[in-house]
Amino acid sequence: MNSSPSPSHFKGKTAQEHLKKARMKGMIASSEIHGIEMSGSQAAFADSLKDTALALLALWSMSISLFDKSVIHVIMILFSISWIIWKPARSAILGWGRLERLHRLIEEERWEIEHNREQERLELTEMYQAKGFSGRLLEESVDVLMSDDNRLLQVMLEEELGLTLEVHEHPLKQAFAAFLGSSTSTGLILLSALFLPKLLTPAIGFLLVSLSSILTARLERNKKTSGLIWNLSSAAFVVASTYLLGNLFSKLQ
Amino acid sequence: MLQDTPPYVFDEFFASGKEEVISPFLTKNSRKWSANLKLKSSLLAAFLLIISFFLSSTCIPVSDFLLLTVYFLVGTPALIDTLNDLKSLEINIDVLMTLAALLSILIGSGFEGALLLVLFELSASMENAVTMKTKGALSSLSHLSPQKAFFINSSGEVWERSVKDIKVGSTILVKAGEIIPLDAKVIQGYSQVNLSHLTGESIPITKRPGDEVPAGARNLDGSLTLEVVRTSYDSTLTRIIQLITHAQEAKPKLQKLIDKLGDKYAILIMSIALLFALLLPLFFSSIPFLGNEGSIYRALTFLIAASPCALVIATPTAYLSSISSCAKKGILLKGGIVLDAISSCKRIAFDKTGTLTSGILKCSSFTPILSEIDTDLGLAMAASVEQHVVHPIATAFIDFAQIKNLSLPAIDQFKATPGFGVEAFCTLDEKKYKIFIGHYEYVSSHFSEALQKKMNLLTFNKALPNQVFSFVLIGENVFVATFSDEVKTESLSTIQYLQNQLHMDAAMLTGDHHENAEAVGSFLGITKVYSNLRPEDKLKIVSDLSSKKGLIMVGDGVNDAPALMRATVGVSMGKIGSATAIDASDVVFLQDDLSSLTWLIRKAHKTMSIIKQNLSLALGVILLATSPAILGFVPLWMAVVLHEGGTVLVGLNSLRLLKK
Repeated sequence: MNSSPSPSHFKGKTAQEHLKKARMKGMIASSEIHGIEMSGSQAAFADSLKDTALALLALWSMSISLFDKSVIHVIMILFSISWIIWKPARSAILGWGRLERLHRLIEEERWEIEHNREQERLELTEMYQAKGFSGRLLEESVDVLMSDDNRLLQVMLEEELGLTLEVHEHPLKQAFAAFLGSSTSTGLILLSALFLPKLLTPAIGFLLVSLSSILTARLERNKKTSGLIWNLSSAAFVVASTYLLGNLFSKLQ
Repeated sequence: MLQDTPPYVFDEFFASGKEEVISPFLTKNSRKWSANLKLKSSLLAAFLLIISFFLSSTCIPVSDFLLLTVYFLVGTPALIDTLNDLKSLEINIDVLMTLAALLSILIGSGFEGALLLVLFELSASMENAVTMKTKGALSSLSHLSPQKAFFINSSGEVWERSVKDIKVGSTILVKAGEIIPLDAKVIQGYSQVNLSHLTGESIPITKRPGDEVPAGARNLDGSLTLEVVRTSYDSTLTRIIQLITHAQEAKPKLQKLIDKLGDKYAILIMSIALLFALLLPLFFSSIPFLGNEGSIYRALTFLIAASPCALVIATPTAYLSSISSCAKKGILLKGGIVLDAISSCKRIAFDKTGTLTSGILKCSSFTPILSEIDTDLGLAMAASVEQHVVHPIATAFIDFAQIKNLSLPAIDQFKATPGFGVEAFCTLDEKKYKIFIGHYEYVSSHFSEALQKKMNLLTFNKALPNQVFSFVLIGENVFVATFSDEVKTESLSTIQYLQNQLHMDAAMLTGDHHENAEAVGSFLGITKVYSNLRPEDKLKIVSDLSSKKGLIMVGDGVNDAPALMRATVGVSMGKIGSATAIDASDVVFLQDDLSSLTWLIRKAHKTMSIIKQNLSLALGVILLATSPAILGFVPLWMAVVLHEGGTVLVGLNSLRLLKK
């Protein structure tokens, strides 16, 4: 109701915006993204950038020992095209899958509010008791929340289910970011493979992995250095393994 | 201090059927990615298909890649829909089209298959986009009905509670300007309430202790303490919602019939294709093209030839052209099928207030009964007092004074007696006048003895049908102002055209008194006049009228909503119409111009004529191509040419409806 200056730790945001951001932070902190893309176009970009760079590096390293130069480039181009199609498609499919789950949850919660008002009141009482409310204050707080179904639904979604409204990006926007990530990686690595000295290709690949690792660490608010080193060493392990195994297979042939 | 942020409003999201474009989980900025996604995707597919076609002779791999993209964009959703249909054991035109399109790849006719899919998807998405634009659901009723009420507990404390938690017998408080949240009985206070949502009438009614007030009515001037008589689950508004829902379910659905015929057609075509592909080689194995090796080729040629592409677009393209043409004229149609229904109607029923009349009270006269001061001065003083009031009569007073270009004098000590009238003082030329405005009973209670005696000797009207009277006492001068709801200028010519040129039976349905209804009916030449109707009465009459002949119902109020829904076609006025009436109707006149009705009916007849031509053409092409195709006399390319040629002709014919 006022426009008084927001406290400094809100960083120019309103209390509500700050709360929304804080919840998003909580959600990122608690989610493990193994196999599931983190919400947001920046995360999709970073993920796609890293995956593409790593996949092309692995392909490049195995092809050194297995294929001749003309075939390497064709294989890399064809692989890149399929990868550029797959990464945004995967991102959009995951985004839509998440949205479907969220919509199902909100529908179920609305049904609960509509049909089990007494139980919802008990749930609210329980939640606010746990927050330290008691007696008349507790009763009044529950009454206020129960008086408006929209507010009640929002409270139940946020406090019971731990969901936050208006924080997810549209699946297509996320897919577009994934497309940009994979295209950037593909473009730079292919250009270097086609026109630059041989050793610059892995250098550019590792540079992209590094950039993506730093961006991901920043989004997850993790330590950048350790994130960078772990990712780089994993990437080096992948590239070296494929190179060595490629050598082994070429000798066996 | 914390910002007072209103809770997120989920109602619209649920009413839309959980549309992604208003998903509460998506950021506001990214929701626009969902807008008309189906349409955008099919337009992109159409564009890629054109490029693919031009590249097919010069750069085949790129052309094929683009074609593959087309199949991905429009084939994937079609395949999902088809599998869903098959899962629910439903074999319809969608299944036939998808099957024909996908099988055509197997025989190297990927272009034809893609074209089939693009046209089909484009037509479906355009219909979807139009429907989404006009779709409204009943959520507007929840805007009309408050979700919360001020509950008074046993110790007299006032609490805000959800109406769902308020039981019968509870006491609630409704302040001036608020909407009554539940059906209740007045136990304390006087006020004027507007019942336009129930009766359609905009003239306020005074409510006193003991009177019942329905949920949804607007409390105009006083504060009312009410005892709840019905819970939110069976309030008047909920009953209206139920009436609308039932009316919707009972409405004849031509679309269902078309789908049903489509299902049978699809099954028949697929069975014939399969049967002939399997059986003909057994009997005619010696004839070229009829042997085993040609059976799949023939079956697919037959499927393509019989794919009802022209048949499928015969109606939607005609409807879409008409919808577009109507939109240019300010008429919004909720789907093209409405035009079909309009052309079948032989009867038309009108609501009175707001439809045939303007629905706005206008001051038609301000006359002295006993006065020594100038009439215009009296009007100026009365309008000046009414400036302090929010009320339809007050607005009419002020408008009337403005028309006469009167400058309004200053007043002081304004006081309102809710449910009765207003009073104030006005000083002019060092003379102070006390002014009272309201019902005759209220104003006359302030007459001096001498004035009362003089008034007793006079004869004048205190009430007349179709008119509202307001008395003004300024010092010892008495005036009467009359207010009425005027018949719209275009109403008479429209009714005459409908009855004389289009030979339709016209009727009038109103919640207003019999005398008022008869007066308007006889002026307009409408003989069938039904008055004193509540929403359920209107619904019953509309059901009776539409059971024998198709009926167009034209209305604007919430009270008309069930009738609009039940009628063969419901038409509502967009500007003055309630959101609920607009939701319940099939046609919305954005300009509130009643004369558009005759244009719309003529357009509907024209559309039906074009559709008949289209269907004949499409069926003719199918008959011409399918029989020789099954016998192997028509090669695949010719089947495609005939098929697509028919489709183009049908599309061009439909475009004729775009003309205004």
